[in-house]
Amino acid sequence: MDKRFVTKLIRKTIFYILITGIALTIITPIYFLVSLSLLSSREAYQYPLPLVPALSSKFKIEKGRKGYLLSIYDPRLGGYDTVIDTKHIDKIVRYMRTELNIITTEKKIKSYIDNLKTRKEVYFKLRKSIFNNYITFFQVTRDAVPALIRSLEIAGLTILISLTIGGMGGYAFARYMFRGKNLLKISVLFVRVFPAVAIAMPMVVILARIGFYDRPIGLSLVYSVGSIALTIWITASIFMGISTELEEAAYVFGATRLRTFLNITLPLALPGLAACAMYAFIGAWNETVSALILTQFNPTFSVVVYQSLIGASGQVNLTAAGGISMAIPMVIFTLFIRRYINQMWGGVQV
Amino acid sequence: MKLKKKWIPYILIAPTILYYFFFWLSPVISAIYNSFRNPKGGFTFNNYIEVFTHTSFGLAFRNTAFIALVSVFIEFIIALALALLINKKFKGSGIFLFLAMIPMALPAVGAAAIWKTGLTTNGWMNSLLYYLGFLEKGARIHFLNGSTFSVMWLIIFVDAWQVIPSMMIILLAGLQNLSKEAQEAGYVFGANRFRTLMDITIPMLKPTIVTAVILRLISAIQIWLIVVLLFGFDRIPLLLERVVYYKEEVSRLENSYQIASTYAVIVAVIVTTAAVLYLKLSGAFEKYEEVGE
Amino acid sequence: MANLRLEHVYKRYGRNVWAVKDINLKIDDGEFLVLLGPSGCGKTTTLRMIAGLEEVTRGNIIMDERDITTLPPWKRNMSMIFQSYAVWPHMTVYQNIAYALRLKRLSTSEIDKTVREVAQMTDITDYLDRFPNQLSGGQRQRVAVARAVAVKPKIFLMDEPLSNLDAKLRVSMRTELKSIHVRTKATTIFVTHDQSEAMSLADRIVIMKDGEIVQIGTPWDVYHDSANMFVANFIGTPPTNFIKVRIGMEDDKLYLINPEFKVLLDDSFKKRLASYNGSEVVLGVRPENITVFPKEEPLLTLECLLIEPQGSHNIIVSKLNDKIIKIVVPSEVIVKPGEKFPIAFKKNSLLLFDPQTELRI
Repeated sequence: MDKRFVTKLIRKTIFYILITGIALTIITPIYFLVSLSLLSSREAYQYPLPLVPALSSKFKIEKGRKGYLLSIYDPRLGGYDTVIDTKHIDKIVRYMRTELNIITTEKKIKSYIDNLKTRKEVYFKLRKSIFNNYITFFQVTRDAVPALIRSLEIAGLTILISLTIGGMGGYAFARYMFRGKNLLKISVLFVRVFPAVAIAMPMVVILARIGFYDRPIGLSLVYSVGSIALTIWITASIFMGISTELEEAAYVFGATRLRTFLNITLPLALPGLAACAMYAFIGAWNETVSALILTQFNPTFSVVVYQSLIGASGQVNLTAAGGISMAIPMVIFTLFIRRYINQMWGGVQV
Repeated sequence: MKLKKKWIPYILIAPTILYYFFFWLSPVISAIYNSFRNPKGGFTFNNYIEVFTHTSFGLAFRNTAFIALVSVFIEFIIALALALLINKKFKGSGIFLFLAMIPMALPAVGAAAIWKTGLTTNGWMNSLLYYLGFLEKGARIHFLNGSTFSVMWLIIFVDAWQVIPSMMIILLAGLQNLSKEAQEAGYVFGANRFRTLMDITIPMLKPTIVTAVILRLISAIQIWLIVVLLFGFDRIPLLLERVVYYKEEVSRLENSYQIASTYAVIVAVIVTTAAVLYLKLSGAFEKYEEVGE
Repeated sequence: MANLRLEHVYKRYGRNVWAVKDINLKIDDGEFLVLLGPSGCGKTTTLRMIAGLEEVTRGNIIMDERDITTLPPWKRNMSMIFQSYAVWPHMTVYQNIAYALRLKRLSTSEIDKTVREVAQMTDITDYLDRFPNQLSGGQRQRVAVARAVAVKPKIFLMDEPLSNLDAKLRVSMRTELKSIHVRTKATTIFVTHDQSEAMSLADRIVIMKDGEIVQIGTPWDVYHDSANMFVANFIGTPPTNFIKVRIGMEDDKLYLINPEFKVLLDDSFKKRLASYNGSEVVLGVRPENITVFPKEEPLLTLECLLIEPQGSHNIIVSKLNDKIIKIVVPSEVIVKPGEKFPIAFKKNSLLLFDPQTELRI
C-alpha cells in the first residue's frame, strides 16, 4: 500500500511541475504586457524593467541651483536619483504626471516646498495613478474612442451578416441533400487559401464603387467572408445534432416550416450560434491588416493600436495599455466562449 | 407563396453563394487579372518573370518553407501533447485550458507588442533573465539582431506561442470524441500506454489531425504580420510579406500593384498545392468512419 | 486458465462515493461466473478492477496466488469483450484479431493460423479483410469475441456483450458464447443486468446491489433459495409475489395468517420462526408455484383481471390484498377476465422474509 502511494505521489508531482512550467510559459509574456501597461514612462524605459509596477514613489526635495531639486528614490541604486532642478512648481507637477503617472496639484507640492524653510531636505511619498496609461492612451491617441465604437459596430454587423447567411447555409447542409453539396463543403475550407491581404486590395475598388469604402459596413462585409464559412461549418454540425423528429413533431401539430424553425430549431441551436457569434466577433475585432487597407479616416480600434505600436511617437507603455484594452474584451469572451466552443467542436469536457 | 420543397436548400444556400461570388470571387479574379496586366495596359507574363528572376522570390520561398514546415511540425507535436495532457482531466485542467486559450484571444497587435517589448535589447526578456540570475548586470542577449537562422527560430517560437492553443482545441475535441473503450481494449490486449497511444489513439484521431494540420499549414504559409511588426519589411522576406511590401512600401514602382497581385496568386497556388499534397500523403481521401461509440 | 480471488475489495470515487464495498469472491479455474445486478450496482466496476482498468481503492486481487492488484492491464494476460465491442475502426478485422498476438511477438505464420482458427470458430472468415464500419452490429460483436478468444487468455472478461443485440441474436449468441467457454475451458467472468441471461449461462451467479454482494450461488440457489427479497424479486420472470402475513400459533402448530387465507406450516419451520411468533413477515411465492384449480383443498379464490398468453404458458394477473399477483399456468389452462378461480400454494415452495431486513428466514 505504501509503495503504491509513494510512486503515485512522485508521478503526480512531476506532472504538476510540467503543467506549471507550461502555464508559466503562457502567462509570463502576458504578465509583462499587463505590467508594462501599468508602468510609468520612467519605469518603462529603465533596464532592467521592474518586475512589478510601483504603486507609489518616494521623493526628496531640497534647494537646488536653479530653484528646487527633486530626487526620486531608486531601489536599484539604494538611494535618491536627481530628476529635475527648477524653480517652476508647475514643471514639477507636469513631470510627475507625464513621466511618473502621478497626479498631483501645485498646491500640494508647494506645501512640501514650504517645509524647506525649516529643513534642508523634505521627504514625501506620493501615490501613483495606476491606470493613468489607459486614460492617456485614450486621450492622446487620435481617434481612440471613436475607433473603439466603430470596432464594436463592425463586430456587431459581422455577427449579423455571418449568422444569418451562414446559419441558412448550415441548415441546408444539415437537413437537405442537394447537388454540389460536396463541392461546396470543400470550397468552404478553400476560401482561406487566397491571402486575405490580396483580397482586401481589389476590395478597395469594389467597396468604393458601392460607396462602402472607409465605412463600418464595408469592413463587416469583408470580414464576413471568413466568418460565413466557419459559421456554415459549425451550424451544419449543430443542426445535424438536432433530431429531425423534434421538427416533425411540430409539423404534425400544425406549425409551418418557418414557425418550427423559429420556435423549436433555433432555440436548441442557440449555444452553437453563440459560439459562431463569438468567433465572428473575435475575428472582426482583432483583424488589423484588412482594416488598415480598407479604412482611411475612420480606422478601427485595432488600427489605432497598431499605429501606436509602429509609430515613432508611441511610448511603449502607452501602446501596451492600448493593446491590453483591446485584448481584455477578447479574454472575457474567451471565458464565456469556453463553454460554447464545447458545443461547436462536439463536447470538450473539462 | 408556395415553395416547392426541393428548391428550399438552394434558396438557403443562395445568399452564401452570391456572397462569395461578390466578396471573394470577384476580388480574387481581379487580383489574378492584375497579375497578368502590364501597368501601361495589355496582357503580359512579365510580372511573373520579374517576380521569379529579379525579386527576392527565392529567398522568400525558402524562408517561408522553412518556417512553415518547421513550425507546423513543432506546433502539432506540442499541441497534441497538451491536448493529451488536458484530456487526463486533472485538478485545475479547466483553469489550465482557459489559460492556454488566452494567447489565441490576443490580437496580432497585442502579441506583437508583447514580443517587440520583450525581445528588444532592453526588453523584459532580458530583464527577466537578469532577475533569474541567468544574465549578469551588463549582459544582454540581442534577440533581434541574430543571424537569419536564429531569427527564424525566434519567429517560430513567437508564432507557436500564439497559435498552439487553437490547434490544441481542435485536437482536444477530437480526443474527447474518441471511444474510451477502444483505448481500454488496447490496454487489456497487451499494449502499454505508449503503444496504445501510437497504435490506437493517434490513428483513430487521424481525421481530426488532418483538419488541424491543414488549417495550420494554410495559415503558416501565409505568415507575415508578426515578422514585419518585429523586424520591419525586407529583413526576413516571406511570400506574403512580399505581397504587402510591394503594395504598401514600394508604391513608387509603377508596377508594384501588379507585382503584389502576382505574388498573391503565387501564394495561393503554393498554398493549394501544399494542402493537396498533404491531403494526398496523409491518405485523407481513403475514408473510413468512426465506429462504435 | 486460472483462478481468481478478490479480497475485501473497495472502490471509491471522489471523497464519498463508494461504488463497490467489501467484495469477496473466489472464482475457480474454468468457471463461468456471472455478475448480475441492476444498473449502478457496481458489477461493471468490479469487472474493470479485475481487468486493471480501474484502480482498486482498498483490498487485493489475486490470480493464481499472485497479487495483481497494482499490475497494469497489459500485463494481466486477460482479454475482454466490451459492451460497445470497442473494435478498432482503423484496422481490418484480421488486424484487429492479430494485434494482441503481434504484441506478443508471435511469428507471422502462428498469428495467421490463430486468426483463421478463431475466425472460423466465430464464423467471420469472410470478413477478415473488411473494416468494422462495413459490418453490422452483430458481425462486429463476433469480431470482438474472436479477438478475445485468439489471445488464449487466462481469464475472459465480458461486459454486457449481448446488450446491444436484438432479442433473437442475443439468444443465439448466448449459446455460442457458452459453447466457446466449454471448448476453451477458460475462466470467464460475465457481467449482465439480464437475469435470464445469467441463469442460462452461469455456473455461479453473483448478485450485486448498491456496490455489495447480495448472494453468490448457482442458478438453482438464487432461484429457489433466494437470500433476500431483492434476489427473489430480481430473479425469475414474472417476479416473485410478495404477500404480507402474520405468524400465529394455534394448537402448537404454526400458521401464516392473512386476511384472505391461512396456511399451515411444517414443523420444520418452528425453529426458524421462533422469534417471529405474532409478528409480521413477508411471504414470497413464485408465480409457477401457485396451482390453479388444485386437486386438494384450495387456499382461496381469486378473480382474474387479465390473462397474458405466452405460447408455452399463460400468465394470469389477479389481485390479493389489493396488490397485483401473477400466476403462471400451462397454456391449456384458460381463465377469462372476471372469472373466479381457486388457488393453492405448492408445498415446500414458500419463502419467508423478515420485513425489516428483507432477509430470508
